[in-house]
Amino acid sequence: MKNRIRVLRAEREMTQEQLAELAGVTRNTIISMEKNKYCPSLKLAYRIAHIFGVGIDDIFTYEEEIDGPSGDDE
Amino acid sequence: MKRLTYLACTLVVACMVAAMVGWSMAAGNFLVPVLAIPLGIIVVLACRAQVGTVMADEREMRIRSKAALRTLEVVVIGGAIAAIILYSFLVSIPLAPIITGKLFLNDDGTQSMTISEYRPGSVPGPQTLVRSTTIPDLNAMNESQALTYCTYVREGFSGNESRGLAGMTIGGILAVLLVTFGAFYLYYDKKY
Repeated sequence: MKNRIRVLRAEREMTQEQLAELAGVTRNTIISMEKNKYCPSLKLAYRIAHIFGVGIDDIFTYEEEIDGPSGDDE
Repeated sequence: MKRLTYLACTLVVACMVAAMVGWSMAAGNFLVPVLAIPLGIIVVLACRAQVGTVMADEREMRIRSKAALRTLEVVVIGGAIAAIILYSFLVSIPLAPIITGKLFLNDDGTQSMTISEYRPGSVPGPQTLVRSTTIPDLNAMNESQALTYCTYVREGFSGNESRGLAGMTIGGILAVLLVTFGAFYLYYDKKY
């Protein structure tokens, strides 16, 4: 799963700390997501989309080769 | 309160509780840990309530779940191997020490007996001898000599007995772990 969190955050001049506070997660989680190391839950994905005021598809992109059939981040 | 301050507080409380428990063990006062440990937990929880930032989120929970599962897998596999190896000392004949008794006819017509202990699984001989003792007159064996003989035989197997006991303990702990895991698995399987 790829995402545009870093780009959207930069556009809004938002720090990782601020986004983490708004999303109710730790800064480490934001860092992991921006590095495409952590795949968030649907609930968190929607929360982030709501914070940025965009649709979930505008942030997250599913890629079969990376995510595999189950979409698990194993 | 910041996350780092909270962690520092937790560390200080843990050290204080450990020191109090250590002292109570030395002093033989069992009431101290009964009071100190719950009190420490209350202080830590009170500090945690003061933390403004998010302490644990879904990523943290997922990491902990995976770490717990991997720990369980490693401990169960490693523990099962250790338990089987240790328990085999108790039940396996080749791992038991070889104890032999030889009767000798003395010049005065009495019988003496030499008891020898050899290394487990070895051919009895001077190279494999661990220790030996002799009862001078077998027919006139007094209570003290009989007790020595019994202790001797018992000590020969005590190492294996303690290993077997350790194996059974590990096996028991593994069984409890698996049953607890199974119970929680069924609970969460029904819940979600």
